[in-house]
Amino acid sequence: MDFNVLIQNVFNGLAVGGVYAIFALGYTLVFSILGIINFAHGAVFTLGAYFTYAFLGARFGFNGLLANQQLPFGVPFPLATLFGGLAAGVISVLIERVAFRPLRNRGADPLLTLVSSLGVAVAIVNVIQYLVGAEAYSYPSLTISLGIPPSVMLGGERPIVIRTVQIIIFSVSMVVLVLLTYFINYTKVGKALQAVAEDQITSRLLGINTDRLIVVTFFVSGFVGGIAGTLVGLSVSITGPYFGIAFGLKGLAVIVLGGLGSVPGAVLGGLVIGLGEALVPAQYVGYKDAIAFAVLFIVLLVRPRGILGRTLVQKV
Amino acid sequence: MNVLEINNLSVSYGAVQALIGVSLYVQRGEIVALIGANGAGKSTLLRTISRLIKPKSGEIRYMGEDVLAMRADTVVRKGVAHVPEGRRVLARLSVEDNLLLGAYTRSNRPKIRENLERQYRRFPRLRERRTQLAGTLSGGEQQMLAIARALMSEPQLLLLDEPSLGLAPIIVRDIFQIIRELNADGVTMLLVEQNAQLALQNAQRGYVLEAGSVILDGKGSDLVDDARVRKAYLG
Repeated sequence: MDFNVLIQNVFNGLAVGGVYAIFALGYTLVFSILGIINFAHGAVFTLGAYFTYAFLGARFGFNGLLANQQLPFGVPFPLATLFGGLAAGVISVLIERVAFRPLRNRGADPLLTLVSSLGVAVAIVNVIQYLVGAEAYSYPSLTISLGIPPSVMLGGERPIVIRTVQIIIFSVSMVVLVLLTYFINYTKVGKALQAVAEDQITSRLLGINTDRLIVVTFFVSGFVGGIAGTLVGLSVSITGPYFGIAFGLKGLAVIVLGGLGSVPGAVLGGLVIGLGEALVPAQYVGYKDAIAFAVLFIVLLVRPRGILGRTLVQKV
Repeated sequence: MNVLEINNLSVSYGAVQALIGVSLYVQRGEIVALIGANGAGKSTLLRTISRLIKPKSGEIRYMGEDVLAMRADTVVRKGVAHVPEGRRVLARLSVEDNLLLGAYTRSNRPKIRENLERQYRRFPRLRERRTQLAGTLSGGEQQMLAIARALMSEPQLLLLDEPSLGLAPIIVRDIFQIIRELNADGVTMLLVEQNAQLALQNAQRGYVLEAGSVILDGKGSDLVDDARVRKAYLG
């Protein structure tokens, strides 16, 4: 691999890794509060991408209930991304209401909640297919809509070519990461989230309304998941209703690799897997998923709690 | 005036009756001790007041208001703070974050700062260790942190669950010194203790709980001398 290609691949890896990181943080937030993997997170990711498509004012395809429909208005891409994320956050809150809270209130086994979240994921995928069909959707080109060049060249005679989309994806991921880190570590609600994650009983004794914080958690989780969906849709396309399922599995690999429930772990895990995949030589690119999971497998053999995970302490 | 009034309270865990028709009251400015053996239902009573446990029947009134109609966070907002058994500091957060979370229900920032300063004056060790993770504190320091954290909510009524548990005698003496000082400052307390002697010596009144029922109550000094209490709890 020559040097220029290497640099390009590293940058691709960082962009993809950044998206993995913010997506995986959605899992991490819910996991650290409830101790449950939210299997519907991948579906929320998918919905975020479709919502953004709708907010752009773009027309849906020829199949499904919404065939040939479009919103009567459209907003520029950055705003559409934001709205898409917010809408995904709202859906995530609804998922908490129907698939998590009823079981929690009855003191059900976390395994049951896991299954009900999986059920919601399947239902969402089917609803999407019913509404807009199974075809792939692409966002209108940013080159045209925002008037930006498709790629940037660095250097003189043999320039390094970087797709503008990768720069956008990387930058947005980093902004989301910084905001999220600030939210968790420096705001009152963020501290309360940490308290609930550590000890729900004590949190309630301190006057923290844990149910409300769980809603906040699901909203933030859905918001970052939806943004991640839009970013991946921008990079390739929305490949169909199953868009988020494979990505969801990758997200699980990311949080397990970084350490379950660890925020820095999710970021590091995302970047490691993103870079790992990007550095797979071109002739083996078909195997990059296998390589990502092989990395996970090897790390777990050496360090079962993940790179930055704490040893699991049995809670009383 | 009664800060807290409990009438005929019964709590059960499945088929097990944890509290059976308990009635008691706490007047403004008092320390009331609740003593009894392990499993007598003392912690259950405090947890029921804090709305962590739903009672089967009975009534709890705080400042005349129906506590059982409130959410757990409302109880704290109204002025009841609970120092739980085993301290339960948030080990992965700093000492100062623990204290600030104690003021979660309060929103007046200058007052919170002032209150924080007051706790640091009362517990200089906490000031020294304020950036340290709470999990790295010694048992006595954690107990001080748990008390200071509860005080950050500016409570009218403090529920103290086994503050002496697992601490060296010299630390226990410090903790009870602080409890007396707080009471002198006007904080009303319901104190749960297995160390009956210590609790009754420091309380104006006391209740003896056995197998979920109040079997005896009276002035602290009388209970210390009571033959039945001596035999059962003071050895």
